[in-house]
Amino acid sequence: MGRWIPDRTTLFLLAVVIVLAGLAWMQGGLPAVVDGISSGANELLRVTPMLLAAFLVAGLTQVLVSREVIERWLGSGAGWSGILLACLGGALIPGGPYVYYPIAGALLGSGAGLGVLVAFISAKNLWSITRLPYEFALLGARLTLIRYAVTFLLPPLFGLVAEAVFGSKIDSIRGAMR
Amino acid sequence: MIESTAIMIVIALGMWGYARSRSDDSAQRGTTLGWQTLKRTLPLLILAFVIVGYVKVLAPQDTVRSWIGPDSGFRGVLIGILAGMLLPGGPYVVFPLVAALYHSGAGLGPTLAMIVSWSALALLTISFELPFLGWRFSVLRLSLGLFAPLLVGLIGWLFIVG
Repeated sequence: MGRWIPDRTTLFLLAVVIVLAGLAWMQGGLPAVVDGISSGANELLRVTPMLLAAFLVAGLTQVLVSREVIERWLGSGAGWSGILLACLGGALIPGGPYVYYPIAGALLGSGAGLGVLVAFISAKNLWSITRLPYEFALLGARLTLIRYAVTFLLPPLFGLVAEAVFGSKIDSIRGAMR
Repeated sequence: MIESTAIMIVIALGMWGYARSRSDDSAQRGTTLGWQTLKRTLPLLILAFVIVGYVKVLAPQDTVRSWIGPDSGFRGVLIGILAGMLLPGGPYVVFPLVAALYHSGAGLGPTLAMIVSWSALALLTISFELPFLGWRFSVLRLSLGLFAPLLVGLIGWLFIVG
């Protein structure tokens, strides 16, 4: 994520920085403005070694995981095994929403089951391997571990529930794609 | 922090070693890709960390605490979910901001709810989902997805101290 609208995000963050700098100015004048920047710089320097490693891990993951394999898994049918493979595919597929939504859309169009697609997207959201290094580096081990532990069962569960409850409605769901 | 850094470096070296052992250019391509991502996201990272710095200096700890503090309860979890949906950008922007809020007094429940809500329900991501999968699919996926931050937030609030 982030890559797909760098300009809008950058502008938004810049606006936030300006507002916060203004608030700091009102509270403590120029020293407070400088304080904020130096405190942020210190924090960034502190996590730099970890971030460098995280970017390397993310880059290598993208190269080592092949998109063809993931697409084959997603086409492997519904039911338990199909949903679990879809979860694995979602966890491993690198890239932002501009990568996995077109794939999911193509699969929905070509007949993939509802549970498989829900499991795939939920696993991308909750199990993402490429996001894990950043989460670990920036949020710390404790928050990351709790987060993964609590959400671990959700992607397959969401897939199974979607398939069981709405699986028979797949044609009208497909029809809403335009 | 030092342990986490060490773990991350060991993982990076392990993956790099594995990529090297494949008889192709995986290691080099992966390193280049990581480096390019870093260069592209550096402006965002710097801005995000300036914001982190201001959140620390302005220390609106009372505000943070009363909105999403450990005692903000279910309301705090809901605010966390809403904030997560609105957070823009990728992990390198969102995670430092959430970490800054957490260190300024946000409770575990609202913090976890914010992370998961951003992962599963971010409005900017939904705007990609709609055109590719259709509104029926999105409505179904989002109504299931809403359980994720609720569950995490409630567990963080009710069962885990800190």
